[in-house]
Amino acid sequence: MITFEGITKSFGGVPVLRDVSFAVPPGRTVGIVGENGAGKSTLMNILGGNLQPDRGSMRWEGEVYAPRNPRDAARRGVAFVHQELNLFPNLSIAENLFLTTFPKLGRLPLIDRATLHRRTAEWLEQVGLTHPPDILVDRLSAGERQLVEIAKALSLDAKLIILDEPTTSLSAREAERLFALMGRLRERGIAMIYISHTLPDVLRLCDEIVVLRDGEVVGSGPRADFNIERMIALMVGRSLNQLYPERRAAPVEKAGEVILEVRGVTQPGIVRNVSMNLRCGEVLGIFGLMGAGRSELARILFGLDPCEKGDIRVAGQSVFGAPPRRRIQRGLAFLTENRREEGLCLEATIAENITLVSLRQYQSNRVGLLNMGRLREAVNAIRGAVRLTPTAGNEAPVKILSGGNQQKVVLAKWLLAKSGVLILDEPTRGIDVGAKFEIYQLIHELADNGAGVLMISSELEELTGICDRLLVMRRGEIVAELRREAFDGERILAAALGETVETGAP
Amino acid sequence: MNTRQNKLAMLVLNNASLLLFAGVLTVFAAQSPQFLTGTNFANIIVQSSSTAIVAIGMTFVLLTAGVDLSVGAIMFVAAAVAGKMVTGNAPIWPALLVILVIGVVLGGVNAFFITRLKVAAFVVTLATLYLGRGFALWLTETRAINLPPGFLVLGTDRWLGLPLPIWILALVLGVAHLVLTRTPFGRQVYAVGQDVEAARKAGIATGRIFAAVYVISGFCAAVGGILSLAQLGAVSPTFGTNKEFSAIAAAVLGGTSLFGGRGKVFPGTVMGAVLIQTIENGLVILNVNPYFYPLLTSAIIFVAVLIDSLRASLLAKWNRRWIRVEEDLISNRS
Amino acid sequence: MATVKRLLLSEYFVLFLSVAYFAALAPFTPGLATADNLGNVLATLLPLFIVAMGQTLVLISGGIDLSVTSIIALCSITGAAIMNGDHGWLAGHPLAVPAALAAMLLVGALVGLANGVAVTKLKMPPFIVTLTGMMFFSGLAVWLTQSKNIGNLPAAFNRIGGNTVIAFTITVLLGVVAHLMLTRSLWGRWLYAVGHNARTSLISGVPVHGVVIGAYMASGLLAAVAAVMYTGQTESGSPVLAQRLLLDIVGATVIGGTSLFGGRGKILWTLYGVLFLKLMDNSLNLLDLSHFTIMMVKGAVILFAAVMDTWRTRAPA
Repeated sequence: MITFEGITKSFGGVPVLRDVSFAVPPGRTVGIVGENGAGKSTLMNILGGNLQPDRGSMRWEGEVYAPRNPRDAARRGVAFVHQELNLFPNLSIAENLFLTTFPKLGRLPLIDRATLHRRTAEWLEQVGLTHPPDILVDRLSAGERQLVEIAKALSLDAKLIILDEPTTSLSAREAERLFALMGRLRERGIAMIYISHTLPDVLRLCDEIVVLRDGEVVGSGPRADFNIERMIALMVGRSLNQLYPERRAAPVEKAGEVILEVRGVTQPGIVRNVSMNLRCGEVLGIFGLMGAGRSELARILFGLDPCEKGDIRVAGQSVFGAPPRRRIQRGLAFLTENRREEGLCLEATIAENITLVSLRQYQSNRVGLLNMGRLREAVNAIRGAVRLTPTAGNEAPVKILSGGNQQKVVLAKWLLAKSGVLILDEPTRGIDVGAKFEIYQLIHELADNGAGVLMISSELEELTGICDRLLVMRRGEIVAELRREAFDGERILAAALGETVETGAP
Repeated sequence: MNTRQNKLAMLVLNNASLLLFAGVLTVFAAQSPQFLTGTNFANIIVQSSSTAIVAIGMTFVLLTAGVDLSVGAIMFVAAAVAGKMVTGNAPIWPALLVILVIGVVLGGVNAFFITRLKVAAFVVTLATLYLGRGFALWLTETRAINLPPGFLVLGTDRWLGLPLPIWILALVLGVAHLVLTRTPFGRQVYAVGQDVEAARKAGIATGRIFAAVYVISGFCAAVGGILSLAQLGAVSPTFGTNKEFSAIAAAVLGGTSLFGGRGKVFPGTVMGAVLIQTIENGLVILNVNPYFYPLLTSAIIFVAVLIDSLRASLLAKWNRRWIRVEEDLISNRS
Repeated sequence: MATVKRLLLSEYFVLFLSVAYFAALAPFTPGLATADNLGNVLATLLPLFIVAMGQTLVLISGGIDLSVTSIIALCSITGAAIMNGDHGWLAGHPLAVPAALAAMLLVGALVGLANGVAVTKLKMPPFIVTLTGMMFFSGLAVWLTQSKNIGNLPAAFNRIGGNTVIAFTITVLLGVVAHLMLTRSLWGRWLYAVGHNARTSLISGVPVHGVVIGAYMASGLLAAVAAVMYTGQTESGSPVLAQRLLLDIVGATVIGGTSLFGGRGKILWTLYGVLFLKLMDNSLNLLDLSHFTIMMVKGAVILFAAVMDTWRTRAPA
């Protein structure tokens, strides 16, 4: 259906794709895996008409295919479902689907609303949504919006659909629905390219797999040729004995002292009677399905959202009702789940981002002016501590970094602040395997140095891999607690789904 | 129950402008019987017609998160050219046509610099404001031009009982509303204002959309200039000054967001313009000290925007909660 | 060629443009390069620069302050009302001038505070807040004075306010302080961060509201200082003082390179912008061009400078 031949692309002298060649047969699903920075996005942007290759060519059903813009690609039948949703919340579902392809009333440039409604309803049915077509996308949840995105791709009569990390915001049930949908599409002969960091999904869904590393194809072939270990090994270029660093036990100094105490925290409609203790040196995980209230709890703990009753104590002192600023002073840190919107100033430099929380400590005594020299030293030291990529200098804008490196900048920011309690919400979302490992190591280092880490994630394996203890949340409440020795994937998932309820002592 | 309270509050906030309007009307009507007459209302609409039309054009621009500071200057240029032509014994209808063309051309100039050369809208329209006013001042040699009565007919003529300006406003409003709500172009304007990158990726020709809205704004400014000229009967060196602010205020009062992606011309912008004019009209009837006009007008606009900001932040807070409830219901069923 | 390119891309571009412009026009413009003329240019440039400094701070925070010209007017009439010899509240009193000065600064700070609070606590868009503010305070000034200027100000005030040397010193002082605040102080770094991303700043512990209110208050205070100068120069308190300068102020700041979207701006850039605008204004006046020609040229030049600026920032490194 489509073949890539020798695609090569460089940005500002830096090669991003090197002689990439492979084929996507009609009606087959090809999975592309690789670390961030391996070139997947660039390759897909070339396929989708957003970029043009420096060298090499593509063929579509044998003929030359060289789209100059997304519209060219769309016309040929290439639909790109991006990782960052491209829906317009201020427009209805129907308008989002048919934004450039509105059915018109005869020759007039007026929208044929009846037809619009009807066609939209058809597509919604295919992806399993029951919303009315004229509801504003504003009112939909993240998972529902993703399904609309896919409906949009389908509605463009695509012959090739590129799915870039489609399951990041989907619940397990919605993901299954998506996979079933993909199965039906395969039967209709639609080719698909599936990009994901969730390797088990790739193995399950794809007929063929292509592994990219540093812009080159380092492995490709039918599914049967691959397993998780081999994929990871190819992606990273060395075999990883493990995905997760070994969890050593004993923390130093304030061993076992309770650093964060939460009692009966309740906010109507959001969380109910949440209680927990976090000790120094401990990595406490919070697992739950989408909508369980984990991020909401985190925001309440940090003071971003209101909390009706309960108590929150950091190092013995209550911070209930205090604004985030005060909680930071007491030692709280919050790494949000959307680093681009709430964790970073994208246009600002790496140094500016890293120092943002701790600036006060770098004032010289006299007039309160900042000591630039000390700031610089601190930034360099922290960069080393988080192993931030050396290719970008301190004055480079943070937006040019890969996801993993951006996340490291956010971590560095809180590291510099020497926080005693770190709340991490989806710290490895959208990050490649290699960088994930490094972040796990950093989390362990933080704990080993005496901090308490509260880690929220939807990846069960990740949590069982690195946490000492695990809490399960469901519908705003804590429904289970397990210690490391008792980690059992099935039990945890069951608790998250509400099939068994376990109350352990906090 | 919580949700019922919320729903009532949202209803109030969503229709705040309307309620404000009603409130203002009540206050004025109570003070003076002269206020609530049909003639008075017709007067108000006629007087606000020029600002309303300019504001309608401005709405298109604001919807794309842009701004057009040159509308007052375009009005001035249009009026100056019209004045020159008409006093030079040119027939009226060709003169009007020329004015409309001028509006389109000047809008096009803005569009060119903003979309092709990619200069910020604020700076471009600021510059064309200077250019336009300077040019018009040169044309009129800084003197006032008085128009012959033949032209004033536009302002006073009636058709089916209603003054011509009201018909013109209705026409422009009707077309604008139709375009924004029922045409692909109109919906794409909203998309572009919401997220220009996503719009580009979705295959929308964003450059063309941006260009079009500035041309529309220029056109509307020209039409507004004609109406204003017809009512004033003369072009003075201060013609059209600060009209850009009135237009923006009317649009924002009517619910248009300065950040793009949100706003309506009907009732929205038009109501905003009429509201501002109603206040001024009422103040005149009540014999309020003219010194107080800007004070009251600005205060009312401030309150209207305050209500809108309140509405936006409350909406954000409550939407979050509703999502959770829905999900709860879904997991209940599973 | 490479040097030309480097020149065009440097942040001193507008400065170079000003110098080049001056050099190009000096031979053709009678009186441009005279000490007298340059003294005049300086006198009007200084207060404009001071207001533009305040605007720069507000723009960096991601907002805008359209009310500065009416703040200047309000401050002017307030001060005049206190110290003028006819019906001034402290007419003839030895403390009249200091009291008037204090009052003017207070007015500027208060209006700035009001702006800041509306933008932060009430979550209203800066454009509208300061726009309505402009309308309101201008209207207020006109009403309070019944559209009349207030003359007969104490000679001491006119000497201080209208003195170019004092104005220069104050301007340099303020400029240095503002520059230091922006580049080396905690508040300055916070200001840039808020302009870049207010949500991230909040989560990172930046006192967002305080920082932004500070920017608007600074803008109001600086407008008040400029009011002192303008009032001293014209020797009267006027409710329409500086009325036409708003677009000059914002235009100069933007031409200098400060971004309308926040997070980017420098005092030095604004200086170049103001310098350029004033030079142009002055030279065109001297060329005896009509008022409207000057307007047109101004418009064209702003456009040209903006195009150059956009071209610069988008040109490949």
